[in-house]
Amino acid sequence: MLREERRAAEEAITLIRPATGRLVDPDIRDEFGLETMDMNMGPQHPAMHGLLRLILELDGETIVRCDPVMGYLHRCQEKIAENRTYPAVIPLTDRLDYFANMHNEHGYCLAVEDLLGVEIPPRAEYIRVLMCELMRIASHLPSIGFLLLELGAFTPILYAFRERERIQNFFEAVTGARMMFHYIRIGGVKADLPPDIPEKIWEYVDGLEKRLEPDFIELIEGNEIFVERTRGISRLTQEEAIELGLTGPPLRCTGVDFDVRRDYPYSVYPELDFDVVTDTAGDVEASYRVRIKECYESIKIIRQCLEKMPEGEVMADVGRRVRPPEGEGFGRVEGPRGEFAVHIVSDGSDTPYRVHYRDASFVNMQLLQEKVPGHYLPDIMPIMGLVDPVSGGWDK
Amino acid sequence: MAVTLPEGSLEERLERYLEGFRSRHGLEEARVEGNTVVLAVDPGGVPAVLATARQSLGILHLSFITVVDRQGSFELTYELLDLRGARVRVKTVLEGEEPVIDTVTGIYPTANWHEREAYDMFGVAFRGHPDLRRVYMWQDHFDHHPLLKSFEISTKRTFEGLR
Repeated sequence: MLREERRAAEEAITLIRPATGRLVDPDIRDEFGLETMDMNMGPQHPAMHGLLRLILELDGETIVRCDPVMGYLHRCQEKIAENRTYPAVIPLTDRLDYFANMHNEHGYCLAVEDLLGVEIPPRAEYIRVLMCELMRIASHLPSIGFLLLELGAFTPILYAFRERERIQNFFEAVTGARMMFHYIRIGGVKADLPPDIPEKIWEYVDGLEKRLEPDFIELIEGNEIFVERTRGISRLTQEEAIELGLTGPPLRCTGVDFDVRRDYPYSVYPELDFDVVTDTAGDVEASYRVRIKECYESIKIIRQCLEKMPEGEVMADVGRRVRPPEGEGFGRVEGPRGEFAVHIVSDGSDTPYRVHYRDASFVNMQLLQEKVPGHYLPDIMPIMGLVDPVSGGWDK
Repeated sequence: MAVTLPEGSLEERLERYLEGFRSRHGLEEARVEGNTVVLAVDPGGVPAVLATARQSLGILHLSFITVVDRQGSFELTYELLDLRGARVRVKTVLEGEEPVIDTVTGIYPTANWHEREAYDMFGVAFRGHPDLRRVYMWQDHFDHHPLLKSFEISTKRTFEGLR
């Protein structure tokens, strides 16, 4: 078939998106003599990140259309939150993006504190930042591991989970739980750090900084298969990234240096010294480099937190019954996947009138719809590694 | 193509944004709160105001769209970021039980899924949206919009008892 005809057909197909039933209008198929194949990927696909179904339309091995179908893990968190008291929502936020629990709690608590107008004790702020940065490492390393796992390399995921396990041990010692912490509370944090933990964290990040080079950079970066499979895949321009509303590593790998921690400062980040990591390539390989460099920045922040952490209280006097005045509260944090924002509308009672979460996984996933067409079928998994969505995040 | 991020100090930029919205749309109630420009706009004027923000003032990022069901009317909040510390909050109120508003996907393409989510959860119809399907709920056999206050959940009583 002539190339022009083919392009016209592809354009016609992308325009037609019926709500149900057949994906492509049979008339159009016949008119252009196209033979494309519909294929479902997920929700129970072994390589898929959580419960995501992709409806793919294939022309040979080239993807013509990609349509993510969400909702397999939807719990309507926003509705449940409307029927619970303010402090009782915190454990639910843990279940949003379950690789960034601390960031979710932090964002929600910032929004409630914005409503209440309470001052947080400085020690609590440092503990929050310390925990969030540990969480960021515990999220970035497995996401690199998953990317490599899907490309067929089994070793990095083991190294990544070894690190994550050790960080989870710290979380267990501090919060009492390994994943669902309920640690950051409205007005501070649940409890002070155990006395021996700062020293152990210091020792651990020293070791981690030495291990990142051999375990995650030398092993991966020059590997020919890795480079073949990721370089130039889903190459984003800055404009595309901005138009799609991307944040976090997918945005920074195109060279737009936006980081909520620096540009919309919260907590004690203005007092800390760190760089915003960017790359210029905008492809999957660049997102890997951004993630690994951000781990070094997190280590820098962790060290500063441990050095600067003052003594004192870890909880402001908020009271048992949290009853914010009528109004609106906003919280915005930089999660491992990008901007996590919470918008709370209060009607003056002890339950929120409306809670809205803006999760980076959900917004960044629009990239699949726009950038996957034109790639080969096996390129989906590296692109998923670029976005690195988490099921609990996009499904709320 | 590289994008240009806004320059100048935060105060200057907030002043410039406020002046830009006022001169083009005559918004008398517009004001600056901290690092945020707060605008209250008629529903019909939302696309024009957001087009000014994106094209004339260079505010690049639409962060989220929140819908609040006020039982009888719907409150929409569009939160825009200029990625350098300033925020713009555009608020509008849709009267009636069947809210309709023009889409902003032509201005901020990222609004696509935000608007689909608002449609799914509240039944807010976005006129001119390229692909207004439900994003979480079932496509067929489900006529409800779960975040409406009129949608009762069965466990509500339990939570009230625990309070």
